[in-house]
Amino acid sequence: MVSDKILKKVSKPGRYIGGEYGQILKNKNDIKARWAFCFPDTYEIGMSNLGMRILYGSLNSYPDIWCERCYCPWEDMQAQMRENNIPLYALESGDPISEFDFVAFTLQYELCYTNVLTMLELGGIPLMASERGEEHPIIIGGGPCAYNAEPVADFFDIFSIGEGEEALPEVTRLYIEMKDAGTYTREAFLHEAAKIPGFYVPSLYTVSYNEDGSIREYAPIYDDIPTKIKKRIVEDMDKAFFPEKVVMPYIETVHDRIMLEVCRGCYRGCRFCQAGNLFRPVRRKSVEVLNEQAKTLYKNCGYDEMSLTSLSISDYPYLEELCDTLLCWTEEKKVSMSLPSLRIDSFSKELMDRISSVRSSGLTFAPEAGTQRLRDVINKGVCEEDLMNAAKIAFGGGKSLVKLYFMLGLPTETNEDLKGIAEMAEHVLDAYYTNPDRKKGGKPPQVTISVASFIPKPFTPFQWEGQDDLDTLLEKQKYLGSCITNRKIKYNWHEAKVSRLEAVFARGDRRLSKAILEAHKQGMMFDSWDEYFNYEKWMEVFASVDIDPSFYANRHFADDEILPWDIIDIGVTKAFLLREKKAAYEERPTPNCVEKCSGCGANKLGGENSCCPKI
Amino acid sequence: MLSQNITYPCWVRIKFEKMNVLKFISHLDLCRTMKTALTRAGIPVWYTEGFNPHIKMVFSLPLSLGTESVCEFVDIKITEHMDFEEIKSRLGAALTPDMAITEVYYPKMKFQDIKYSLYEVTPYEPYDLSVLDAEKVMIKKHSKKGEIEIDIKERIKSIEVKGDKIMILGCADQDHYLNPEQVMALTDCTDHRIIRKEIYNERMQIFR
Repeated sequence: MVSDKILKKVSKPGRYIGGEYGQILKNKNDIKARWAFCFPDTYEIGMSNLGMRILYGSLNSYPDIWCERCYCPWEDMQAQMRENNIPLYALESGDPISEFDFVAFTLQYELCYTNVLTMLELGGIPLMASERGEEHPIIIGGGPCAYNAEPVADFFDIFSIGEGEEALPEVTRLYIEMKDAGTYTREAFLHEAAKIPGFYVPSLYTVSYNEDGSIREYAPIYDDIPTKIKKRIVEDMDKAFFPEKVVMPYIETVHDRIMLEVCRGCYRGCRFCQAGNLFRPVRRKSVEVLNEQAKTLYKNCGYDEMSLTSLSISDYPYLEELCDTLLCWTEEKKVSMSLPSLRIDSFSKELMDRISSVRSSGLTFAPEAGTQRLRDVINKGVCEEDLMNAAKIAFGGGKSLVKLYFMLGLPTETNEDLKGIAEMAEHVLDAYYTNPDRKKGGKPPQVTISVASFIPKPFTPFQWEGQDDLDTLLEKQKYLGSCITNRKIKYNWHEAKVSRLEAVFARGDRRLSKAILEAHKQGMMFDSWDEYFNYEKWMEVFASVDIDPSFYANRHFADDEILPWDIIDIGVTKAFLLREKKAAYEERPTPNCVEKCSGCGANKLGGENSCCPKI
Repeated sequence: MLSQNITYPCWVRIKFEKMNVLKFISHLDLCRTMKTALTRAGIPVWYTEGFNPHIKMVFSLPLSLGTESVCEFVDIKITEHMDFEEIKSRLGAALTPDMAITEVYYPKMKFQDIKYSLYEVTPYEPYDLSVLDAEKVMIKKHSKKGEIEIDIKERIKSIEVKGDKIMILGCADQDHYLNPEQVMALTDCTDHRIIRKEIYNERMQIFR
């Protein structure tokens, strides 16, 4: 691995040493396939990712597969590695990733793409899939961005579409079998892999374009591979692979706690939300299984904090029972519980009392839009009364800080809607002062509103919408600021330039690969970090490769246009998304899946303990 | 001492190592690691009372980043009897070998009594100790009050070359803490290994 002399020269050397309690070491002689599982960001962020924990555990549960971890070194470490000819290595064995059979990247957000190239380059692996030969590892991508990975398609050999805990061991088994049988060549393997459900081999599909730049056709080059790649799901969450052991980081990471995955998917159907569509159908774990898993994790980790994770935890139908069951032992063991993603319409005093959360004096809610009209457009399904109710409970329970998340630039938005955000914050403050139960003489109340710019995302009813151009977004941010007059309201906004670049990549196609390659050549990396993000430089890069970013970010895509991600089948149909788009413009909410099935199509994927009608 | 004479909660001292890659782990990270390890090991630890209960732990003098050690100490309180051998083996199993538990016993001395610390330096480059021959060797040091100048010689009790090793005995009390890295920085040797071997009280008795 790396010498001390080098590690002493870099910031946070603890990122590069491995050797943590819980890491999995194996004897190389017993291993038939080696995975280097890469997270294209820092160790602290990557180690907090639950998906990576699951896949690390799942692959390592097979005696002939060894999966190791690898993160993107910070720039100072990259310089040391280049200067001293140290190739990027996996933390467990310290072996260069170029010696592995599979090098996997989890693509959690669009702005990690330049880091993927940085890591490949540090690993001495050709960046372009077409340049790789028999001696190189198979480069495989997955995670939420793989659902439209076209902008990075040229760099990957395979994408894993959907949940990977069953799919990745399958593709590894194919690899081992072909190697054992002597039938393995890179080409033959990729062809076979493309036949396994949930695997997309981009080089086996050619794309042609119309004169206006839109896509004409995706054509498979073989007859025996699917024309659409159907995402994989784990049907029964109670029986799904569960990582009993966790690698315990020495240095502090972003989420340094037990993460108990309660369910997958969300049945609400907010029209801007990609996760809500990607991860359908909803599948839940049972209280008994969760309680056992929580105990196991506590015993094996020793964390004193546990977070119940789900896209919308308060929609878990057995939440009270789960909390009560867990509290039976967590209180005695001094384990505190936290619930992220609370919905205002299902927030109750009982729930707040159950989550001790003594360590926080605040609560966060996401009304997303400032007027009822716009909330109906986005199908948020909450009303102001719900928020006031939640605020009253929070203030009555001794909380003094309320944080509200909103989005700006939503389809059909007017100044009225923006003003509504400021008014809503005012009303929440009023709720504090008119609350007879509030603690007297405590901290003064504060309402923080955090505003992100809307990004049209693939596989949502708003996937066809163009994002507001940068000037409009900035103007809207300014206008909202002018509506806020109360000093007890704090106003934060996300950098609109970042949101614009995200929009470009989110709805991008294969032609963007050359922009990402060019950005990498110019030394760009860590685009999701403020200290590295450079919008102007990105615009220069786009210009230099003759790409107009507004073609992807700001253009309204036609309803009948072939979209770059049409090649992926997530279960939810395009027909449903179009129906939802229409409903949005008619300001018509759609009932959630528990109230009434709207026929999104995800039920055809199966799934146990779900709210979908069986087929 | 027989356990029935003990009243609980009672203080227990754990001696452990911080070797190899752990030289890159800060004191704060070490505390977090020890905390989760105590829980994993199922040691009946005492929690502070109050609004935000946490495991009571008191560490001996922190180690400078980059330095290894075979004599680190942490005091914990246990709420009921557990054999010291059992604490040692359980806690050891909840940690990596680089953080081996070497001894568990009732504290004999107080952490405030720690006065000196002995370091073994293995230089991997030529070095020159002559700079330390001067009466005073002033170096710059970052402190809470900004950058200050200190006389590093004041903090070195002895320095001795033994074969391929340099043994440095330095002050280890809070106000006059010697960082052996700073000594080596003066000798033009930047590539080296430093291990804390022992700590002592004022009368040069091995700290227990």
